[in-house]
Amino acid sequence: MAYKPQFYPGSTSVGINRRKHMSGNIDKLRDIPEADVVAIMGHRAPGADYASTHPPLKEMGEPDCPVRQLVAPTAGAAAGDRVRYSQWTDSMYFAPSIPYFRSYWGAINCKGCDPGTLSGRQIIEARERDIEDYTKAQYDSEVTDVALCSMRGCTVHGHSLRLEENGMQFDMLARTEMGADGNVYAVKDQVGIPLDKKINLGKAMSEAEAKKRTTIFRFDGVPMGGKVGERKFDEAIEMTHHMWERRSKWGYRPE
Amino acid sequence: MAVKHTKKLFIKALNKKFGKDFDLAGQKVEYKRLGPEQNARKREFMEYAKKLEGKRGMTGYNPYVHAGGIPLGQRQLVPYKLSSTEYVVEGDDLHFVNNPAMQQMWDDIRRTIIVGLDMAHEVLQKRLGKEVTPETINNYLEILNHAMPGAAVVQEHMVETHPGLVDDCNVRVFTGDDALADEIDDQYKIDINKMFPEDQAETIKAAIGKTSWQAVHIPTIVVRSCDGGTTSRWSAMQLSMTFIDAYNMCAGEAAVADLAYAAKHAAVLHMSDMLPARRARGPNNPGGLSFGYMADMVQTSRVKPQDPVYVSLNVVAAGSMLYDQIWLGSYMSGGVGFTQYATAAYTNDVLDDFSYYGVDYAVDKFGGFAKAPATIDVAKELATEVTLYGIEQYEAFPTLLEDHFGGSQRAAVLAAASGITSAIASGHSQIGLAGWYLSMLLHKEAWGRLGFFGYDLQDQCGPTNVFSYQSDEGNPLELRGANYPNYAMNVGHQGEYAGITSAAHAGRMDAFAVSPLIKVTFANPGLVFDWANIRDCFGKGGAREFRAAGERSLVMPAV
Repeated sequence: MAYKPQFYPGSTSVGINRRKHMSGNIDKLRDIPEADVVAIMGHRAPGADYASTHPPLKEMGEPDCPVRQLVAPTAGAAAGDRVRYSQWTDSMYFAPSIPYFRSYWGAINCKGCDPGTLSGRQIIEARERDIEDYTKAQYDSEVTDVALCSMRGCTVHGHSLRLEENGMQFDMLARTEMGADGNVYAVKDQVGIPLDKKINLGKAMSEAEAKKRTTIFRFDGVPMGGKVGERKFDEAIEMTHHMWERRSKWGYRPE
Repeated sequence: MAVKHTKKLFIKALNKKFGKDFDLAGQKVEYKRLGPEQNARKREFMEYAKKLEGKRGMTGYNPYVHAGGIPLGQRQLVPYKLSSTEYVVEGDDLHFVNNPAMQQMWDDIRRTIIVGLDMAHEVLQKRLGKEVTPETINNYLEILNHAMPGAAVVQEHMVETHPGLVDDCNVRVFTGDDALADEIDDQYKIDINKMFPEDQAETIKAAIGKTSWQAVHIPTIVVRSCDGGTTSRWSAMQLSMTFIDAYNMCAGEAAVADLAYAAKHAAVLHMSDMLPARRARGPNNPGGLSFGYMADMVQTSRVKPQDPVYVSLNVVAAGSMLYDQIWLGSYMSGGVGFTQYATAAYTNDVLDDFSYYGVDYAVDKFGGFAKAPATIDVAKELATEVTLYGIEQYEAFPTLLEDHFGGSQRAAVLAAASGITSAIASGHSQIGLAGWYLSMLLHKEAWGRLGFFGYDLQDQCGPTNVFSYQSDEGNPLELRGANYPNYAMNVGHQGEYAGITSAAHAGRMDAFAVSPLIKVTFANPGLVFDWANIRDCFGKGGAREFRAAGERSLVMPAV
């Protein structure tokens, strides 16, 4: 019988969405042009050559190594690209993804990447042409809502702040803005440098849509443990209890 | 069931911060993006920086130099209420550089050394045939309180320190022997019977027995110029000179070396251990300070023992400030971020609310403090309830979430409340620690985020060291400290661990956590910092009402 990863427990929409994110089987919601994604990332001008840190692997004469023979290099590694990043800030008010699930998505589905997880930002580093692909995949898919999530290389403050009145996540550097036409526009790159032109990122999700697609447990959405006085444990809690108990007992008596 | 415990103590603070009529539950707001001008303290900084510009001949503080030309302060900058006090101060007032009370708290630790008297008395009596009586001890203490600040004895009249610069220096003795204590001049003793509730005094005196000790506090200005490693040396020199004077010894005889050896090594208790070479700090520096000692230094347990949450939270405040703001934030790193981490644990009554909720729940369930069995199931139930409660409060009050804007702040507060609850309920610090780690895992699972990278290391593998029997990782929490292997790099933890340590003993109504000597020494009324009211004293410091020692203005031209 072929192994089928289960990824995550629970029968709530949050559990189901978490499984979807981890599996990589995610819905595509929009199509932001590659050149626009590259411009927002801000590492190279769209259309410019990739900077490299070493010659293409084929020209380097790699040593006779069984691991190298088993693992095909990513396009970026094969070309010798430098390592660059994209970093996301996801609002706690029902953003579709949350830092650990962006990381799990990356670690499971993106070859040659290095995810880093914090509370207010989540970074993935990879060879430049690879990270561009991974970033576009995030931008285009249901893991991202253009109002509740944004790419922020620095000054990321905002994930836990109240939303702006128009539903946008707070961003000190105002890298995105809500247009009069109801579309969200990127006006600055990841680190806050103004773009040559505004980039249309499309419409934000409605609150109902964000709640449907979110991976965060919240008391006013899908609670993980019910509410005060009305406890009802999601399977995620039972899993966590199990893991914690095993780890604690193993420390006392490793077997 | 638990609904009745929901006191929401933080609402008063949020009203003070955001305005009384503000909708604390609103999830959306108009950000006015007022920049640094919206805050009185930032305005003061900018005005002062302008004055300095001409004087310095170069630029300095300027919050308008931020990336993209957008000034800092785009969100609403709100003040902080010191938990359980009426003090409301700006965040800047809680950076230790701006807060003299915080500095004094640390100074009071590093300038303190405890030296036994019995070994010296044995040398005097058995080797030198001197008579030691209450009268000679009182005479010795009078000389010592002249010499310890840096004044001359024995060697004619030498260079001395100005009494006005070193007036915080003092030495008092204490003993578990009531008969001896009665003979000591009141000004020179820490009166255990007077300073502690009766039951605590009896326990402490029984633990100390007939031994007698000197609580030595050298001048603040000395440790600010040198460091904590100085304290035992400074103290030993003045102790030895005083013995020579008080007991008419020969200044050069070998017995003096015995007295010095006792004062420096054989009968001395440092406040913290020396650190390994890679961290390169001597004794009496914060990195070697155990959580148990920290719990004993804080004196809330003797003034409000009936409220173990209050006791524990004062320890959290002291520990967060010292370990996070001063140790990790400055010795080990630098800058401003560490203050933001630490203040979450002692401002705005948030940790108070979560902890009282948990302890009320536990008391209802188990019938009192320290009544629950010390089992993993107790930690599981309590930490789960407290963590879910806290998470719900952050979600229901967006301004609360905004106030604890970083995951590390929330993680520290949720886990501390879980740990303190579990420790008070069971009277066992290791059960508290187990509750801490479960809270971390539940929090991460609920929101898909925790703290910064360090939380991945320390908190996700942490449960395995709670009950470990391996020597380098299995210590009781009381004996762990800032340099415990997994704890050495992570802000937002060490003060809370000290609080959990304290909680176990506060729940049991213990007189002390680890050391009766530390507990009595910090009951010394001659200390400058208020060790019984940590948060209140930080508030005084922030409100510019606190006078610290170690001041140099006496010997400098007026500003």
